[in-house]
Amino acid sequence: MNTLSRLSAIAIAAMMATTVASGLTRPAQAATLSGGFDVGPGGFQGNFNPLAATAGFTWLSIYFEPLVTYDAKLQKPVGVLASSYEVSPDQLTYMFKLVDAKWHDGKPFTAKDAKFTMELAKNAKTGSVLAARLTPVSSVEAPDEHTLVLKLSAPSASLMDTLTKVMMLPEHALAAIPADQLAKNPWWSTSPIGTGAFKFTKYVNDQYVELAANTDYRGGKPALEKIINRYFADPAAAIAALRAGEIQFTYVDSNEVPTFKEDKSFRVIEGNSFVVNYLGFNHESPIWKDLRVRQAVMRAINRDAIIQSLYGGAAKPANCAYVADQLVPKDIDPYAYDPEKAKALLKEAGWDQINGGKPITLLTYYTTPLATNVLAAVQAMLAQVGINVVPRAVDAPTYNSIVLKPDADISQFQLVYAGLQNGPDAGSINVGLNEKQIPPAGPNVVRARMPDLTAALDAALGEPDAAKRDGRYQQVCKVMNSQLPWGTLWVANRYGVVSTKVKDFVWTPAPGGGPYQADPQRWSIAE
Amino acid sequence: MLRYSLRRLAIGIGMLLALSMLIFLLLRLTPGDPIDAYIDPNIPMSPADLAELRSRLGLDQPLPVQYLAWLQQALAGNLGYSIKRMDQSVLGLVLSRIGPTVLLMGTALVISIIVGIATGIVSAVRRNSFADLSFSVLALTGISSPAFLSALIGLYVFAVRLKWMPSGGMLTPGEAFSILDLVHHLILPASLLAVAQAALIMRYMRASLLEVLNQDYVRTARAKGVVEFWVIVKHALRNALLPVVTLIGSTIGLAIGGAIFIESVFNWPGMGLLLVDSVETRDYPVIMGATLIIGACVIVVNLLTDITYAVIDPRIKVA
Repeated sequence: MNTLSRLSAIAIAAMMATTVASGLTRPAQAATLSGGFDVGPGGFQGNFNPLAATAGFTWLSIYFEPLVTYDAKLQKPVGVLASSYEVSPDQLTYMFKLVDAKWHDGKPFTAKDAKFTMELAKNAKTGSVLAARLTPVSSVEAPDEHTLVLKLSAPSASLMDTLTKVMMLPEHALAAIPADQLAKNPWWSTSPIGTGAFKFTKYVNDQYVELAANTDYRGGKPALEKIINRYFADPAAAIAALRAGEIQFTYVDSNEVPTFKEDKSFRVIEGNSFVVNYLGFNHESPIWKDLRVRQAVMRAINRDAIIQSLYGGAAKPANCAYVADQLVPKDIDPYAYDPEKAKALLKEAGWDQINGGKPITLLTYYTTPLATNVLAAVQAMLAQVGINVVPRAVDAPTYNSIVLKPDADISQFQLVYAGLQNGPDAGSINVGLNEKQIPPAGPNVVRARMPDLTAALDAALGEPDAAKRDGRYQQVCKVMNSQLPWGTLWVANRYGVVSTKVKDFVWTPAPGGGPYQADPQRWSIAE
Repeated sequence: MLRYSLRRLAIGIGMLLALSMLIFLLLRLTPGDPIDAYIDPNIPMSPADLAELRSRLGLDQPLPVQYLAWLQQALAGNLGYSIKRMDQSVLGLVLSRIGPTVLLMGTALVISIIVGIATGIVSAVRRNSFADLSFSVLALTGISSPAFLSALIGLYVFAVRLKWMPSGGMLTPGEAFSILDLVHHLILPASLLAVAQAALIMRYMRASLLEVLNQDYVRTARAKGVVEFWVIVKHALRNALLPVVTLIGSTIGLAIGGAIFIESVFNWPGMGLLLVDSVETRDYPVIMGATLIIGACVIVVNLLTDITYAVIDPRIKVA
């Protein structure tokens, strides 16, 4: 045998070994659902602590549960660990009746646990990101084992929304840990217990989290034996795993949707992102002072064309922060695409003297290919009317460090391309537009100082009558539409893809991952 | 010898200190801090809460104070806690990632050596043949392919289309540990990581062997009637391997760079994945701890090499 033949034999043997190894792939267990539950903007891989969660509620709410959550369409709060609740006419007292539930270790869930959790969530020392939002809650009482009473210092239209994110925690497991040590405690990622349909089994570093069915679940024994949340550093890897059949569900970007729609092995789930995208005018920059300039920006951008060509039609143009019918008055300006009108408005405003062709930095934290294409289109459309924007995409920490600085450098972000949650709680936009939220107080990064808008937002947030609240938000929409603190663009849809083998699966692209009523105990997977 | 070793050790410690200072400064010069990475505009935090968080993380202190506080803790063996993964210690996180990275890089190195040397020999022995031409084209492609590209192509072909290999991870989730499962997950990322290194080794091996095959002693061996296989293996290969061995050592750095991409694409739970994630979230303690430990490993290896050289060659001591 000559040298070449020997080496060829080695190569063939190596290939055979590889083939044999590949044949060792075991089929996924029938009663196990694997997914990329923390992929995409609603996910928060590596966080196990619901008090510190700014996202990731789709996953956390499979083993932890809140008192109330949103229904699957994100339209209204429904009870989870609260069987019912009553709000006093003055909106200052909330009384929750609690269900009979057990922690995963068999101990009963009581109002004392709910009180304990609320106090942790209100305490910033625990690392709770909800503390500021729970400021209106002045006292928490547990008059009996099944009743929790929250007293407020002032009415809060956002309280129920905030409560959907407060996952109940067991007092008997956590009471001994000092508040300032709680976030660092390994309990969260090693032995957490909740009241949900599945219980935490294990976390394998940066690989996956495994949950097992809680057979004593009050809502019935789950159909699945296990749920696995696979971690992916790159969303493309999650899509590869989905196509390879290793996982049955993941979030996908809109540009991936057409290929999945053609494949009968998958079901595409489409939903409202509840995030309004906008061009935020930095109101501290003199170039945007004249309303006609801001109106010109709105008329220069062909939003319909961008929605059709880049979003595949899966977005709604926004003429204020909202697109939901009940929040948008009929008589607002639709800002139809009209470059000639835009040019005329700029001429009237004296744009040549204000800025002319000088470059304007358009800062964004969106770094996806879709966002790059959107900004290229916006840049070209604005250039046609004589506004020279230069997009600059940076990562989120860099973006925040620039725009949230109290003494921010205007030249670094005369314009931003960003998104802000506009639902399910319509009051979510308050932080981005209310004058009282200008940094360092909050994230009104465009420094909008518009008394009419602040008054409209305050009135909506303080409206005690739920029936009148939509009308208040219509007023917010009207002011936004006429005064243009932002150049609102659209609200796009977001997508998830699930294998058709999975039955009764509920997922919605909720901001921050929800939570919402997903009923994981009903999910099943065909053999 | 003792004095030489102590001197090298002192230099190593000095380098480690300088490295930690450099990383600390570079991190602070990078725009955005852990709080900026943590903020979600939809969940407003009051200035008081943010100040509390900043104070708890020690970010409100002057830079020299922050550095000295970190150094003091590090010298006591406490590298702190991750900011993103609040309940996990930096030391635990880093130590748990070293094994997977060593396994991935070690396997890739072995694959690249075997493939690179074998194809290099074939190309040299069968110079200008179809095999030589094919291997040379493949090597050129391998050298020209950035790790992220070959990783994505490999993932698509072998995991998505052919379904021969898993698309990522180190073990099948939810199943008990088995060596076969580990090997199955390891083959694809390790092979892809080996591509560039194998291509480089192949080219060096081919050139080096061609040079040696023209030497007089090889001709003499052939004239003596030694079988061609033994002429190559026993006489030519040994000498031809010397520059290749030197090259292999110097390409380890290439493998570390490639490993960061491969670990991200294949979700391999190693140091690369940890570092990329930590940089994205400005997780200062993890970045500091990981670079310190990597730096310490490199310095210790260099120190041991220097000492070994000194033992083997006494002239080094004087140099």
